[in-house]
Amino acid sequence: MEQVLTALSDLDSTFVRVFLAVMRYVAPALVAAILWRGCRPLLTFRREPEIWAFLIASTGKRYPVTHWENVIGQHKRCDIVLELPTVSRTHAVLTRYDDGSWTISDAGSKNGVLVNGKRVKICALEPEDRIEVGGIEMALQPVSKYQVQRLTQNRTRASTGLKSVSDLLLLTIFQLLACLGFLLSGCEEPMSVVAGFGAIIAAQWGLLAFYLGIRRPAFELETVAFLLCTMGMAAICAVKPGEAVKQVIALLLGLTVYLIVGWSLRDLERAKKMRYLAAVAGVGLLVVTLVFGKEIYGAKNWLVIGSMSIQPSELAKICFVYVGASTLERIMNKRNLIGFIIYTLMICGCLALMNDFGTALIFFCAFLMIAYLRSGSVGTIALALTALGFAGIIVLKIAPHALSRFSSWRHIWEDPLGAGYQQTRALMCIASGGLFGLGIGQGWMKNLFASDSDVVYATLSEEWGLLLSTLLVVSMLAVALFAVRSASASRSSFYTIGACTAATILVVQTMFNVLGTLDVLPLTGVTFPFVSNGGSSMICAWGLLSFIKAADTRLDASFAVRKEKGSDADE
Amino acid sequence: MRMNRIARRSTAVIILAVIMVSGLSFFLVEYFMYADQWVISKGSPHVYDGSNIGCGIVTDRDGILLLDDRNERVFSEDQKIRMSTIHWVGDRYGYIQAPAVAHYAKEMAGFDPIGGLYSYSGVGQATLSLSARLQVAAMEALGDRKGSIAIMDYRTGQILCAVSSPTYDPDDPPEITEENQDIWEGVYLNRFTQSVYVPGSIFKIVTAAAALERIDGILDQTFHCTGEYDLSTGSVTCEHAHGTLDFYGAMANSCNCAFASVVEQMGAQALKEQVDRYSVTEPVSFDGITTAAGRFDITDASLDQVAWSGIGQHKDQINLCSYLTFVSAIANGGAAQQPYVVSQVTCGGEVTYQAQTQTMDRVMPEEVALELQKMMRSNVEVKYGVDNFPEGMTVCAKTGTAQADGKASNALLTGFVLEEEYPLSFIIVVEEGGYGQNTCVPIISQLLEVCKEVI
Repeated sequence: MEQVLTALSDLDSTFVRVFLAVMRYVAPALVAAILWRGCRPLLTFRREPEIWAFLIASTGKRYPVTHWENVIGQHKRCDIVLELPTVSRTHAVLTRYDDGSWTISDAGSKNGVLVNGKRVKICALEPEDRIEVGGIEMALQPVSKYQVQRLTQNRTRASTGLKSVSDLLLLTIFQLLACLGFLLSGCEEPMSVVAGFGAIIAAQWGLLAFYLGIRRPAFELETVAFLLCTMGMAAICAVKPGEAVKQVIALLLGLTVYLIVGWSLRDLERAKKMRYLAAVAGVGLLVVTLVFGKEIYGAKNWLVIGSMSIQPSELAKICFVYVGASTLERIMNKRNLIGFIIYTLMICGCLALMNDFGTALIFFCAFLMIAYLRSGSVGTIALALTALGFAGIIVLKIAPHALSRFSSWRHIWEDPLGAGYQQTRALMCIASGGLFGLGIGQGWMKNLFASDSDVVYATLSEEWGLLLSTLLVVSMLAVALFAVRSASASRSSFYTIGACTAATILVVQTMFNVLGTLDVLPLTGVTFPFVSNGGSSMICAWGLLSFIKAADTRLDASFAVRKEKGSDADE
Repeated sequence: MRMNRIARRSTAVIILAVIMVSGLSFFLVEYFMYADQWVISKGSPHVYDGSNIGCGIVTDRDGILLLDDRNERVFSEDQKIRMSTIHWVGDRYGYIQAPAVAHYAKEMAGFDPIGGLYSYSGVGQATLSLSARLQVAAMEALGDRKGSIAIMDYRTGQILCAVSSPTYDPDDPPEITEENQDIWEGVYLNRFTQSVYVPGSIFKIVTAAAALERIDGILDQTFHCTGEYDLSTGSVTCEHAHGTLDFYGAMANSCNCAFASVVEQMGAQALKEQVDRYSVTEPVSFDGITTAAGRFDITDASLDQVAWSGIGQHKDQINLCSYLTFVSAIANGGAAQQPYVVSQVTCGGEVTYQAQTQTMDRVMPEEVALELQKMMRSNVEVKYGVDNFPEGMTVCAKTGTAQADGKASNALLTGFVLEEEYPLSFIIVVEEGGYGQNTCVPIISQLLEVCKEVI
């Protein structure tokens, strides 16, 4: 290794200059190719709902049952629409459980739900049961083994192992070139650079090998995430190469959390149990921070344990999504909604006490998204009021802090050496880099505070060009759009809410980070998921990604989605 | 809970994505509109080094390297060149600011919004009108003394030489302490553009010009100098009695008494009007530099104070660059050319800036200018000695010895060469240098010899 490094440093300077000059164009081209291959399937896959059963009416008409929670009613937005005057707008809910059993419950209908001639509130269904909804007699027929096979054959595969391998190969080429670029540009700590990029490469191939082993070869989300991590590593190598190893450890921890959360999401019943743990952990983390936390840069949101410092509020985001998605239960339940509002108020109270404006904002956006996704007719007003109270508390509690940020917003050039220093330097460096950058290791941003986190976008723009850094934002948007597209084919609303909320947090953080750097929005010190240097943020990003992974119902796509065996349906 | 409805509501995430895209698009529009301004804003890391230029290379008029700022800040290899030009290229730490070169940052950096500042081989280059050889010669002529020397081409406005002393080697900056701070007083200033001096007798050129315009038959007048000229509020004195003089003689002998009489005849108001018309105390702006403002303040002044003002004392202050511009106007037949120090800027071989000679609206009637030329030539012939100047150069000049508070007198000299092949005007201040004639004439003589070779 040492010899290789020495040999590299002896290379002719003309070669180095040519290499760096060529990389200015090769890098964005490679990243564009990686994203094209990775994001296209995410955005273009056919959204085919899985069919879990058929409702067969006495008239012979077959209604496919495509979710684990299905609303039967007259309204056109019901999952199973029965257009008869005797059927209420929202009549009944048909629910499937993990073990393949089914229940039907009355959703406050006028004429009620009858099972085998008896009016029921909620009732477990047996294969031969006669169901009567608004005078229509139906029987539930779970899909047979044969039908499962036939339907499965018709469904699009998410991806083949070969495609995942070739995508990852492309990313690996990019990573090797980036690493070489840093070594050639005379990086001060070449060993850290090699360790940093090397570990990312090892981690991504390890994960893919594991996926191939369990026959879930889809790797698009992970490819995008690893690309973002790679650019984060590029920023660290430019700014503080000594922290490369630290960030790699965070990445490995993040992958562990990713797999654990993903595993917990495989089983809806397990997820339901886990939510209590998540709820306690979420508030617990914040309370512990409040008691033992240390104030760094104005917010008391750091927990220092020995030489390690973590931001528990980042980890609390994962818990928050968990709780927000799962308190829903599987049918409408007002009590749980109120529970969630109380939970949100507790979280926001803790953050207000910590003076953590940035994180509070993220929780606020996540809360709004969950509230919007959940609030149909029930609870809308309560949720809106809570939102209002939440915003009010934030503004009151941290007004001086927030005001100072807002005062320089869109006025950074009036005080370029004071309040606007960070952003004016960022814009100067972005402009210096142009669309293709000044070249690897040629930036100035390393001299600026938080250039590998709060204003990392400028650091990457300066060296790699505005084109490439914009592609990173696009990739994050692609992940979010994938979450939205997955929603309509999702098995349970739990997964839809989880994925959409996780996507919201990822997009909102990216938005505040990038647009804050660019002075389009006030600078809030929010991290760029996967990219910003910071262990807690990295772990949080991977944890959130697992919610999106769990909503990926493409065939054999996701380790976080349990494969339904044909025998299940036969029972 | 309705699955379909939740799926529909999930499009709210798309709204966020749209906000994100809008924000980024807004930025990209801003980028293409303003990036060229951002990149050359003061302090832009790849263009400036602090407030000084931090990219490209700077050479003198003959292509001698003064500063290479492509990567590190590298000055000339010659210590004397480094020391004599630091006030024009700026030091390493921003103590000495060099706004002239920094002013052309945009032209040097060669920014375009697609490629940014990246350039594989092309490099920005600023060519100064200064001559490194003259700079070194002038610095050596000043030696340990504080002061400033400047030489300008009065036909074009090019500044060929402008040194400021004390100076230091940017590669070996001095440690300035309380004990030695007197030696280094004003070292960070470019005394040519940023300082003001009491003009002393060189101001008599202004008063003479005013008298030529305002007093009919001034050239036919005679003055009787007894060593003291009484005005009702006080008197103006000469070092010794000059006897009977005409106006030329008064100028050549720098007779305070005669000039006091001239000021008395003309009146304070007329003198003030002429000073303003010649813009003697107005700052000059060029290449992003605005010089210090001089002062001619006779508000509430008594008669003798007005007379002292007319001979460059009382509250008078001049900036050397501004005054040299005035003297150059005389040499140029009344029209002042705007000075400049940056001749040309190129980026990647392409000329991005080319200095042009610009005539300023500092107007003096041509006949007055020609008469002043003759008077200043007579100074040399009668007083300073034609032999004390280089052969083949018809030098016109005026010396000055200005009293500064409590210190020894500053020696001053200004003037020009009449020959068409040497259109040079000059100004010298040697702080605490004693008599202008004794101190400054040998210096300019020596430098004009160098000029012969440089031009």
